[in-house]
Amino acid sequence: MGLNTASEVISFAKKLEEENAKLYEDLAQRYMKGREILLSFAKENRKNIVQIERTYYEVITDAIEGCFAFNLNPDEYTFGTELTEKASYSDALCKAIGMEEKIVKFYSDAAEQSKSLMADVPRAFTIIAKKRGERKSKLEELLRKESQM
Amino acid sequence: MAILEEPIRGVPLVKNFIGGEWVESKGELVDVVNPAKYETIARVPISTREEIDAAVEVAKEAFSDWRRTTPLARVRCLFRLKELLEEHFEELSRIQTQEHGKTIDESRGETRRGIEQVEVATGIPSLMMGYNLEDIATGIDEYLIRQPVGVFGIIPAFNFPFMIPLWFAPYAMATGNCVVIKPSPEVPLSQMRLAELVDEAGFPPGVWNVVNGGGTVGSAMLEHPGIKGIAFVGSTPIARDVIYKKCGETGKRVIAQAGAKNFLVIMPDCNVGGTIPALMTSFFGNTGQRCLSGANLVIVGGDKFYNEFLDAVVDTASRIRVGYGFDESIQIGPVRDKGKKERILGYIESGIKEGAKLRLDGRKANIIGDYPDACFLNPTIFENVSPDMKIGSEEIFGPVMSVMRAKDLDEAIEMANSSNFGNGHAIFTASGKNAREFQYRIQSGNVGINIGIVAPMAFFPFSGMKDSFFGILHAQGQEAIRFFTESKVVIQRWF
Repeated sequence: MGLNTASEVISFAKKLEEENAKLYEDLAQRYMKGREILLSFAKENRKNIVQIERTYYEVITDAIEGCFAFNLNPDEYTFGTELTEKASYSDALCKAIGMEEKIVKFYSDAAEQSKSLMADVPRAFTIIAKKRGERKSKLEELLRKESQM
Repeated sequence: MAILEEPIRGVPLVKNFIGGEWVESKGELVDVVNPAKYETIARVPISTREEIDAAVEVAKEAFSDWRRTTPLARVRCLFRLKELLEEHFEELSRIQTQEHGKTIDESRGETRRGIEQVEVATGIPSLMMGYNLEDIATGIDEYLIRQPVGVFGIIPAFNFPFMIPLWFAPYAMATGNCVVIKPSPEVPLSQMRLAELVDEAGFPPGVWNVVNGGGTVGSAMLEHPGIKGIAFVGSTPIARDVIYKKCGETGKRVIAQAGAKNFLVIMPDCNVGGTIPALMTSFFGNTGQRCLSGANLVIVGGDKFYNEFLDAVVDTASRIRVGYGFDESIQIGPVRDKGKKERILGYIESGIKEGAKLRLDGRKANIIGDYPDACFLNPTIFENVSPDMKIGSEEIFGPVMSVMRAKDLDEAIEMANSSNFGNGHAIFTASGKNAREFQYRIQSGNVGINIGIVAPMAFFPFSGMKDSFFGILHAQGQEAIRFFTESKVVIQRWF
C-alpha cells in the first residue's frame, strides 16, 4: 500500500531515521575505527527527526492539502539492517551506503511530490536529502580508504 | 499503518465554564457521538436560560477590570495560552478527530490555524492603536481611540470544533472584551479542553466562559441584553433569518459567516498534475464539510480536454481511502452524523432524478477498517449538472462534486456569479490574464487562483459575500479588531 497522507509520510520518515540511527549505533560498537563518525550520523538522524516534525507541525497550515499530497511506495525505501557476524568494516560501509541511497531517494521523491501543494515541508525534505547525499559521499570515502589499507 | 491512540476515555460529562469555575449544568443531557465508531464518547448539557444569565453576569463583572488591564498584560495571557496550545498540540488534534471524525492531518491543520489566531492577537498593543492629527484647527487636535465594547457571544459551527471560536475569542479578549462561547453540542470536547488551557494560562475568571447547548441556548444569547455582539458561523438560513435578523432587532453587532456553493473553474491551460490533488482536498477533504469546499467543478474547453481531465479526476477520487481518521493512511473520514449522511444521500437521489449523470457513486461506503457503516460516504461525482439543479445550487456539505461545462471563461464566471453564494470560488489556470479577469469579475469574498481551499490566514479577514456572509466586518485580523472595539473620536482644545 502506498503512502498518501502527510501524516503517513512523516511517520515513515521518522521510522527510517530511527532504524538507520540504531544501525549506526550498532556499527559504532562493532567497529571502533569508525566509531566517532558513525555515532555522529546517528546523532544527526535524531536532529533530522526534530527538523521534520517541527516543519510538519509548524507549517501544517499548508497540510490542509496534506491528505492528498503523496503517492510513495514504501517498499522502494525500506532496507534490512542486519549484518552477519563475520561482516567486515567494508561490508558494513557498503551496507550503509546502500541504505543512504534509499533514504536520499525517499526524501527526494517526497520533496518532489509535495512541492506543488506545500512549501516548507518539501524544502525540509530537500535539505535532508542533500545532507544524506553528503553523508553517502563520506561513507564512500571511508570505504575507499578502507579498501586501500 | 499506525492507528493512533484516542485521547478521550470513558464517557465524560461536559460541564460549563463560568466565572473560572467548572459548573455542572441543570439542563438535559445529550450524547456526543464519535461518528466513525458510532459510539457515545461524552454527554453534553443543553444549558438553561439561568445558566446563560449567570455566564453573562460574571462576564459583565469581569469586563470592568479586564478592560482596565493593560493591553500588554492582556496579551501576556495569550502568550501563555499559545505556549500551552503548542504543548498540547497533538492531544488537541486527536480530540478533534475523535469527536468530529476528520483525519488526523486535517485536525492538526485545524489546530495550527487556531493557534495562528492567538499569535496574531498577541499583536494587539500595536494593532489596536488609534490615530491622531494635530492642529485640525488652530490649537485643536483630534484623535481616534479604540475601546472594548463589553460581552460578546460566540456561536460556532460543528465542522471546525477547535478553530472557529478562535477566529473571534483571542481578538475579543485581547482588545479588552469578555466572551461567552456556545460550542456546537455535537462537538463540545475541543472547547472544553481549550477552556481548561485558558484557565491554566491565567485569564481572570469571567473573561472566557463556555456554556453548552443547542439552538435554545443560542436564542437566549441573541436575546440577552448583556451581550453586545454575536459572532456566528453556520448555515445560511440560520445566519440570515435568525442571527442577523435578531441582532438587528436587539441592536447587537454581528458577524454571521454562512453557507456556500463554491465554483472551481478549470481552464484547459491549467497544470493538471498540481490541480487534481488540490481538487481532491477541496471537494472531499473534511468530507466536504467546509464552507470553503469545492462544490461545482466547471470545466472549460473542448471534448478532448474535458474527457481526459474528468477521467483523471474520477480515477483519483475512486481511489480515496475512507475510514477512521486515527488511521494515518485515511484521506477522508465520516460525515459528522447519520442525519447529515441522510441529507447528503437525499441530494444524490435528487441529482439522479434531475437527470445528472452519476460518474462515481459514493453512496455505499468502502470503509477501510472494521467500523460501522453509519456515517461514512465515499466521494460522489455527477456530470452534466446545471447551476439551476438542486445539486448545482444548494449547499450539500458533503463529499459530492457536481461537474458542469462552460465554453469559455466568460460563461464560467457567469455561472458562478449566478449563485446566491459568494464564499470561495477559484480558478485553475496558467494564464495571468485569465486569473486577473476571474479575480476582477467573480462575486466571491475569498478568491482562489490555483488554490482549492481559499482559507485566509489569521492576519487577513475571512471574507464572504452575498448569502455567504451577513454583517459588515469579518472574522480574523484587523476586521475582527474593529468589530470588537468602539471607535471613539476625541477633539481637544486647551484654553
